[in-house]
Amino acid sequence: METETHAAYKSRWLPWILLLPTFVILLVFLYYPTLETFRLSLYRVAFLGIRKTFVGLENYQDLFTNPEYRRIFWNTVVYSSLVVFFSMAVGLFLSVLANQKVRGWRFYRLMLIWPYALSPAVAGVIFLFLFNPQAGIVNYFLDVLFGIRPDWLTHPGLAMFVLVAAAVWKNVGYNVVFYLAALQNLPGDVLEAALIDGATPWQRFWKVTFPLLSPMTFFLFVMNTIYAFFDTFPFVDLLTKGGPNGATNVLIYNIYRDGFEFYKTGMAAAQSVVLFVGVVILTVLQFRWGERRVHYGG
Amino acid sequence: MKRLVVVLALAALALPALAAEKVKVTFWHAFGGGRTAFIQRMVDDFNYTHPGIEVKAEYKGSYRDTLNAAILAARQGNPPHIVQIFEVGTQMALDSGIFVPVEDYVPAILKFQLEDYIKPVANYYRIKGKFNSVPWNSSNPILYYNKTIFKKAGLDPANPPKTFGEVMEACKKIEATKAAPKCITWPLHSWFVEQWIAEQGALLANNENGRAARATDVYIDSPAMRRIVEWWKAMYDKGYYVYSGKPEDWDGANQLFVSQQAAMEITSTSDVTFMQNAAFENGFELGTGFLPIPDGVERNGTVVGGASLWLTKGHPQDEMTAALTFLIWFTNTENMVRWHKGTGYFPVLNTSVKVLEWQHWFERNPAYRAAFDQLLQTKLNRATQGALLGPFPEIRTIIENMIQAIFQGKPIDQALKEADAAADKALKEYNAAVGK
Repeated sequence: METETHAAYKSRWLPWILLLPTFVILLVFLYYPTLETFRLSLYRVAFLGIRKTFVGLENYQDLFTNPEYRRIFWNTVVYSSLVVFFSMAVGLFLSVLANQKVRGWRFYRLMLIWPYALSPAVAGVIFLFLFNPQAGIVNYFLDVLFGIRPDWLTHPGLAMFVLVAAAVWKNVGYNVVFYLAALQNLPGDVLEAALIDGATPWQRFWKVTFPLLSPMTFFLFVMNTIYAFFDTFPFVDLLTKGGPNGATNVLIYNIYRDGFEFYKTGMAAAQSVVLFVGVVILTVLQFRWGERRVHYGG
Repeated sequence: MKRLVVVLALAALALPALAAEKVKVTFWHAFGGGRTAFIQRMVDDFNYTHPGIEVKAEYKGSYRDTLNAAILAARQGNPPHIVQIFEVGTQMALDSGIFVPVEDYVPAILKFQLEDYIKPVANYYRIKGKFNSVPWNSSNPILYYNKTIFKKAGLDPANPPKTFGEVMEACKKIEATKAAPKCITWPLHSWFVEQWIAEQGALLANNENGRAARATDVYIDSPAMRRIVEWWKAMYDKGYYVYSGKPEDWDGANQLFVSQQAAMEITSTSDVTFMQNAAFENGFELGTGFLPIPDGVERNGTVVGGASLWLTKGHPQDEMTAALTFLIWFTNTENMVRWHKGTGYFPVLNTSVKVLEWQHWFERNPAYRAAFDQLLQTKLNRATQGALLGPFPEIRTIIENMIQAIFQGKPIDQALKEADAAADKALKEYNAAVGK
């Protein structure tokens, strides 16, 4: 290693100098805010920091004993699991279909990827219109077909469904892109061998294709988890505002609310730390448990 | 030659600096869309008639965004001079310590304007005898109704329901005659709850609504609140009340009323202009009436909603003077008339009202009449003065969650008790955080 570095760079310092901008950016925009968040979580803060009182772990104590917050944690787990599972399952299903050489495949693929190009805010507004109880097109068709008009956003379960649907719809395109790429790179000889051995399409998929896709599945699992935790704020804000009665209040939305609407910066910081630790643990677990099952092929 | 060019260039650079030693004033507000342009036109007029001052108006997003931005700017030592803050942010603005009480800075010769505010407005914004901010955009909730649907349902289009019971009766008729798919809508917003509590002459918080001293107890578990939620729940269960499903969804409620899905809507008077245009476009006749109140209680009146203009501290004397000059000009008699006509917000000065009356404005625009009469008939007491609560935004969310929980079937007793405890806790934490 030593010799290699010296071969590339004459000076010992040059690589460090070249890395410096990256470090500065990381330090200013990533490490400093992270540390500051940890620090603030130990304070009771008024007015975004004009006044601070050290309270130790009081914020955390409140977080873990208050039933409201426990409910938020639970909502987050339910919401994230549903979003991750369905956006990957639907993504895989659609990409297997789109991988077939049917007429107009280019068009199908484009249409599948297209929702990903929309911003979450636009997607949120589209779903708001679709699921509007009185004027939405979903209820119009349900009324015509079955004579029912559910109040989508007033019922806790239905509101959660709409949110999950919106988040899944938005992210399926991303999964389709990656799964399609993976499907196209599968070794044809293995599938051919399976075909010759008389495996049914069902067997071929679950015994050959799916295991071969496992590296991609693993990668997408990590990415979708991050998406479900961090990037779904606009859907909650636009569609339900955490309602009805906090049934769709997830952690990322509540952090914003506590921090910038209710001015409880200390509480918001404590929740950010919990979210941070949760995602770190999850990622470590995913690598520990996931890697073993992943088959990287030859 | 070269030297001459350099000298000339330098002179050219220095010239505007010499010529335009204007005092710069920054003004942050929360009005987007057409109102941004409207405010800009007024600011342009000011700059034109006041050559020594240059006011820069900036739209900063929602009320909350504007307040956040102002606090952050003040922390960095560079706050805007004037900030628009919503009425429920009043206690917060006082506690933040980044503002000065405006009344202390108004020169004696202009004090007359502070005496000119109509009573309900002065009542809200005069805290412990002093204007801490300049009242600007003020509104109330009123009832808008579709006269065309009323006629179809056999209801008297000249006589809108005035009480909860009458609303229920009207809804029964509208449902029976199928005159409209739904009867009434309003945003699921705590603002209406606060208004209905004031209408009953009841308080929302102790220490006289937080006006005599800092509030330490929120009154959610009260008979006044119970009257409101019992009726609201019955209206919801019968399918008379409809909303989009999202809390604080003003546009959703307007959409339901304007598209004639609902025969009535309760919303802000600041929408009068919008409603008139929408009724015309959608081909129905619009009526306005007082906010319906619980049966059997005396009508106390409404609390002034909206926002006021605050002056931040820490500016040189000339900038303070310029900012005040603008503030007083911006809310003077003629500009309040102009503001009212352009937006539907109340003309908050007595002299502006006189001008409008002299122009027979209310006769020519009857939709504004109900809004304004309701305001003028408001009794002046602690209830209609409105509560001062630090964590008001959070308490609003608590109240809205409570109502949704009641819709879902949570017993009213339990819901009120829980919300009361949650609001008290929020208040306690806020008071502790600001060190009071």
